Amino acid sequence: MTIFPGGRRRAAVALALSGVLALTATACGDDGSGAGGDKGTEGSGKGKITFWDNNGGVRTDVWKEIIADFEKANPDIDVEYVGVASKEVQSKYDTAIQGGALPDVGGVGAAMLAGIAAQDALEPLDARVEDSALKGKLNTGMVDSVKAAGGQDKLFTVPTSASNGVLYYRTDLFKAAGLAEPTTWSAFYAAAEKLTARDKNRFGYTIRGGAGSIAQALDAMYGQSGITDFWNGDKTTVNDPKNVAALEKYAGLFKRTTPAADVNNDFTKMVAQWDSGEIGMLNHNLGSYQDHVKALGTEKFRGIPNPTLDDGTRVQVSNPVDGLGLFSTSKNKAAAWKFIEFAASHESNSKWNKSAGAIPANTEAAKDAWLQEAEPTKLAADVLFSGKAAIVQLPYYLPDWNTISKADNEAGFQKVLLGKATAKEFLDALAEQLNAAQAEWKQQKK
Amino acid sequence: MTAESTLTAAPAPGAAQAPPPLDRTPPTAGRKRRPAWDEVPRWQIYLPLGIYLVFTLVPFYWILLFAVRPAGSTSLLPWPMTTDHFEKVWTERSFGVFFQNSLLIGVAVLVMTTVVALAGGYALARFDFRIKKGFMLALLCSQFVPGALLLVPLFQIFAELRMINSLGSVIIAETVFQLPLSMILISGFIRNVPYSLEEAAWVDGCNRFSAFRIVVLPLLRPGLVAVGSFAFVHAWNHFLFALMFLSSQSKQTIPVGLNTLMGADSVDLGALAAGGVIAAVPVVIVFAFIQKWLVTGFSAGAVKG
Repeated sequence: MTIFPGGRRRAAVALALSGVLALTATACGDDGSGAGGDKGTEGSGKGKITFWDNNGGVRTDVWKEIIADFEKANPDIDVEYVGVASKEVQSKYDTAIQGGALPDVGGVGAAMLAGIAAQDALEPLDARVEDSALKGKLNTGMVDSVKAAGGQDKLFTVPTSASNGVLYYRTDLFKAAGLAEPTTWSAFYAAAEKLTARDKNRFGYTIRGGAGSIAQALDAMYGQSGITDFWNGDKTTVNDPKNVAALEKYAGLFKRTTPAADVNNDFTKMVAQWDSGEIGMLNHNLGSYQDHVKALGTEKFRGIPNPTLDDGTRVQVSNPVDGLGLFSTSKNKAAAWKFIEFAASHESNSKWNKSAGAIPANTEAAKDAWLQEAEPTKLAADVLFSGKAAIVQLPYYLPDWNTISKADNEAGFQKVLLGKATAKEFLDALAEQLNAAQAEWKQQKK
Repeated sequence: MTAESTLTAAPAPGAAQAPPPLDRTPPTAGRKRRPAWDEVPRWQIYLPLGIYLVFTLVPFYWILLFAVRPAGSTSLLPWPMTTDHFEKVWTERSFGVFFQNSLLIGVAVLVMTTVVALAGGYALARFDFRIKKGFMLALLCSQFVPGALLLVPLFQIFAELRMINSLGSVIIAETVFQLPLSMILISGFIRNVPYSLEEAAWVDGCNRFSAFRIVVLPLLRPGLVAVGSFAFVHAWNHFLFALMFLSSQSKQTIPVGLNTLMGADSVDLGALAAGGVIAAVPVVIVFAFIQKWLVTGFSAGAVKG
């Protein structure tokens, strides 16, 4: 018997094994970011910094353009771009905080700001903004919003953009049905009924019943009830009888004027079915505008601010403001701040928001011509900054807000849609969680 | 006993076995005879299969449709056809790089899992040691621990080793999580190979390693294919470790890249579908080639322990 037949094969196997082991052993790397518990340093203002984009993929191109501009203006600084999917960015930050490998700069939306700031992961930026070219150039409403969202009366992110609730409607279907623009809630409900022809697979509206449903339901509730404050003392107003009635009416649209599959709609499914079917109206924010343009062109739809009450009163809930944070573990804070300052400057902020169809935080960028031409963005900016709309400030500062407004209660809202729970039961349960979270937050602040 | 005689006496695992004779005895009173395969009308077989196939294939068709039809089209047929979405994800969205990384991780996990599981499985099958039962139990119990639970400790370990943002961290983590089940499976396959075969090889002059390599290893081929393909597919599809341990764009994998195609407020469905097709193709090809061995391998491992 040959003990070692096929010497070449044996050599190949040995080589492959060695290769794999060597790869594993030597593929060690480091992203150059700070370690957990590290207080970081100001650094030399030169060298490499890491930037995590909190909406990676979709905004990668425009960020790479801004980074290229920055590196051209600052040849001593090298920015490594890391695109993180928006759905995963919270867990990626949380793991990096616990494990100790945060980037130098990161995109942090207001909805997750309190949770990250509470872990002392972000550097307060008030003084840096005061001493920089950004002083007086940032929209005060957005600055106040991110300060409030941080929960510590400090500026943990430099605001870059804001979105707003938009009612997209199909102008061709409205025209064919002889309907006027759905500018009021009454007109909205009437249009939803009139445009529905279930036997022809036509629906008046598509409701968001899956992931992200709570924020949209809150917008519809407060918009109809006219209640302008989220808190009445230490108690939330979400289960106010007016809000309960509004939610009952809104949820009543499900299956009557919407597809039955809407109960599982996240924004992806909702937008996809609106873009490819015959559905009269859709509520979403400015972010999906370009998707609608791609699918429908600009002639078949319009995006207008959410409806008002019949007397013209406009109430809407606040949308999370996006911003850039400087992580406290950064070993090159000077260079990281230069990048933030550059990204929030007139030219870069305008470029980014034009690409995203969002409202710029830089006041000079907000005056640029493109904003006047992008109708939904212009209308949304007008609503936000006109002072004529009452904005219900959602409690983004609660560290539990993200959980309460998403995973913990989305199933409850589905039960309301399916008739397995009443709007009152759902809102009472939601209110109980919010009141408890608020009390806990106040206790921690003492 | 010679190796040949043993082979005759005990068929190798995975060898084709003759089907049991059909029960053609007349039905007894009170007992309904189950109809034989060839007595069942064809439609009763093909109709359920067809319905099942429709349910399975329609989602795939839908993905393909979105991947090849132009943006904005609502046609239910993939015509006119475009490769724009594939070009976009492959070049602009760096799926070419992600594909290479996923392939590298998949192959490395396959090799490391198979090699280590072979060694461990052999020990479990052929040696008796004091804590063997406890060890087996620990291997089984480790399957109940979700990867997410160990994320932070693993992250800290890799950070200490300066392995964050290296493919090595994902390869090691994936291999470690694959090993318990792979070792249990391989040990089952090895137990099915009669020990006398190895003894015969020793008599013929082999040492333990060469006897294993020359006599046992070839008989384990279906099992190795099963374990290896499982390891590859799992590593190819796994998302969590790659998301958490890898940051640079140049290190990311296909599942992580796919996730970035879904933005916070907008989704390019054509690009997402094209990315999905790119992600699915290697897995489909792997299964198409190894399907026969895979089924044989798992059934061989399941015969007896």
